[in-house]
Amino acid sequence: MLRLVDIRKSYRVGPTTREVLQGIDLEVGAGDLISIMGASGSGKTTLMNLIGLLDRPTSGACFLNERDVSGLADDELSTLRNAHVGFVFQSFHLLPRLTALENVCLPLVYQGLRRMEMQQRAHAMLTRVGMADWGQQRPGQLSGGQKQRVAIARSLVTEPTLLLADEPTGALDADTAAEVMALLLELNEQQGVTILIITHDPLVARRCKRRLRIHRGTLLETEHRAASVHSGQPTRSGPEATAAPADAQP
Amino acid sequence: MTPGSRSWSRLLAVLRGNAREAIDSLRKARLRTVLGLIGIMIGISSVITMVSLGEIAKAKARKEFEALGTDILVIRKSFEGAEAEAAINVPDALALAPQTPSITIAAPRISGYGSFQYAGKEVGRGSLQGVSASFLRVNKLSLQEGRFISDLDVDRYYCAIGAGVADSMRAAGGRQLIGQHLEIDGTLFTIVGVLNEAVDNYALPVQVSANESVFVPISTAGRVVANAEIDVIIARSAAGVHYRAATADVNAYFQSRSPDLKLEVVTAQELIARMEAQMRIMTLLLGAVGSISLIVGGVGVMNIMLVSVAERRREIAIRRALGARRRDIQSQFLIESVILTVAGGVLGIILGLLATWGICRFTGWDYLISGASLLSGLGTATAVGLFFGFQPARQAARLDPVTGLQGD
Repeated sequence: MLRLVDIRKSYRVGPTTREVLQGIDLEVGAGDLISIMGASGSGKTTLMNLIGLLDRPTSGACFLNERDVSGLADDELSTLRNAHVGFVFQSFHLLPRLTALENVCLPLVYQGLRRMEMQQRAHAMLTRVGMADWGQQRPGQLSGGQKQRVAIARSLVTEPTLLLADEPTGALDADTAAEVMALLLELNEQQGVTILIITHDPLVARRCKRRLRIHRGTLLETEHRAASVHSGQPTRSGPEATAAPADAQP
Repeated sequence: MTPGSRSWSRLLAVLRGNAREAIDSLRKARLRTVLGLIGIMIGISSVITMVSLGEIAKAKARKEFEALGTDILVIRKSFEGAEAEAAINVPDALALAPQTPSITIAAPRISGYGSFQYAGKEVGRGSLQGVSASFLRVNKLSLQEGRFISDLDVDRYYCAIGAGVADSMRAAGGRQLIGQHLEIDGTLFTIVGVLNEAVDNYALPVQVSANESVFVPISTAGRVVANAEIDVIIARSAAGVHYRAATADVNAYFQSRSPDLKLEVVTAQELIARMEAQMRIMTLLLGAVGSISLIVGGVGVMNIMLVSVAERRREIAIRRALGARRRDIQSQFLIESVILTVAGGVLGIILGLLATWGICRFTGWDYLISGASLLSGLGTATAVGLFFGFQPARQAARLDPVTGLQGD
C-alpha cells in the first residue's frame, strides 16, 4: 500500500548539508498499526512529513498504492493528501474559529462536496468517535481529549488509506491518552484503518503490532508481530528493545 | 462525471466555502475590518464625489450651450495687429448667409448704449442694438406682442423693446406699449414689438442681454450711434457642417469682400470641444486626487491582509495538510480582500453620492447620478481588492506547510 525505497532527505544548514534521513526503506500494508519511536532530532517528524506527502524526499521513491508519488507536482500531492492521508497532531490543530462539525467538514470542502453531504458525513464521523453531541462547540470549549477525538474524526472523514498520528497523546494526561489510544486501536481493529503513530511514549508504542525505531536517520524494525488485521488480541508486553540489528532494514 | 465537471464543482464548492470563511474571518477581526473598510470607503467616496461633480459641471455647461444651439458662430473683427480702418460693412454682413452655403442665417449687430426715456421719465439704461430681422431667430428670442424689426424698416425709427424695458415702462404708467414713443438719447422711436423674457448664455463670448435692450434697424443705428461699426455677427451653420469648415467659409467670404479685414470666429462646437477637453482634464485631476486616497486605502487593506496571513500561518498549514491546494489558499485570501474592498466600495459609493448631493444642494447645481461612476466605483473597489490582496494571498499560498505545522 505504501512503500518507501531508499528515501533520503537532506537540508542545507549554512554551508553544509545535513542528511536527516539516510536511506529509509519501509513497507506499510493495509490494516497495519505501526509505531515509530525516536529521540528528538532523529528525523521522525521529517519522515512523517514525507509519508504524509507534505514534503518531498531529496532522493528515493515513495509508492502509494503502487504509484510513485515522489516527483508529483504540488497540486497533485494536495489531492492525494486529501484522499489518502489523515493527520492527527499532538496539538490537535483544530481551527479555533470553526465549530467541531465544521472542522470535521474541512477536508471535504476541498473535495467539492455539497454542504448537506459534508455535514452528514462529518456528523457520522463525530458519532463514530463519540462526539456527536459536541458538533456545535468550538475547540476552545472542548477538553484536550475531546479535541483529539474531533481531530481524529477530521482525519478519517475522507476515509483515507493511511492515518498518520504525530504524538497523538503527547498533550494529554494519562487517562485521556489511554482513551484516545483505545479509540485508535478500536478504529484499527474494527474498521481496518491503517495507522502509523509517531511517538516517544513506550506505552503507546507497546500497543502497536509493529514497532519501528528511527535512529540517526535510519529505520530499525524492533518488533513485528504477525497479526492479522482484525486479530484484536491484547498486546503482550514485549521488552522495549533498543535495537534489533537482525531485523534491521536490508 | 467528467474530470472537467468535477473540478468545476470542486472549484465552486471551494469558492463558496472560502467566501463563507472570508466573511467569518472578517467578522471575527472586527476592529481591523472596520479600519480597512474606512480606508476604502473614503477612497471610493472621494473618487465618486470628484468624478460625479466633474460630470455634473460638464452636464450643466453642455446644457447651457444646447439651450442656444451648438451650431452657433460668433464672428468679430480681430483686433490683433489691427488695421483700424478695415471694418465689417453692413451689406457684406447681410449677404453672408445667402452667399455661403454652410451658413444658414447670419445676424450682424451695431451696438450702442443709451438712456431710455418714457413719458418724461428714465425707464432704463441699456444697449441700443441695431439689428436685422434674422437677429430674432438666430438668438431664439420670441415676442410678447407686436413684431420684431423687419428688413423693410430701413432707416425707420422703429424699435422692439426687451421685457425688462417693457416692465419699467408699465411701471411708469404705460399701457398698450405698441405704438408708444420711446426716447433714446434725444431720438424718438416708435415701439413696434415687445420681446419675451430671455435668458443669456454666459458660455458664449457675446451677451445679447435682450431684456434690458432696445432693438432698432441696423441702418438706423448706423446713423444714431457714434462710431457705428458692426461689433459682432451671430450666425448659425447648416446641419452636419463641422465648425472648422464653417469658420473657413466665413473667412473666405470676407477675405474676398475686404482683404484687409481680419476676423475672429468663435463657434459653439469649438467652445464645447474646448470645454469638454478642459472638463476631461479636470475630471481626471479630480479622479487622481480621489485615487490617491484610494491607494492609501488599498495599502491599508494590503497591510491588513499581510497581518491576517501572518496570524494564520498555522491555519494555512493545516488546510494544506488537509488537502487544500495553493490556489485554494490564494483564492481564500483574495476573496477576503475583495469582500473587504467591495463592502468598503459600497459604503464609499453611498457616502460619495451623499456628499455630491450635499454639494449640489449647496451650489444649486442639478444633482445627477451617473451610472458609469457607480459601476466604475464598484469595479475600482474590486480591482483594488485584487491588486492589493494579490501579494498577501500569494504569500499565504506559498507558505510551507511543514514549517507552518511546527510553529506551535
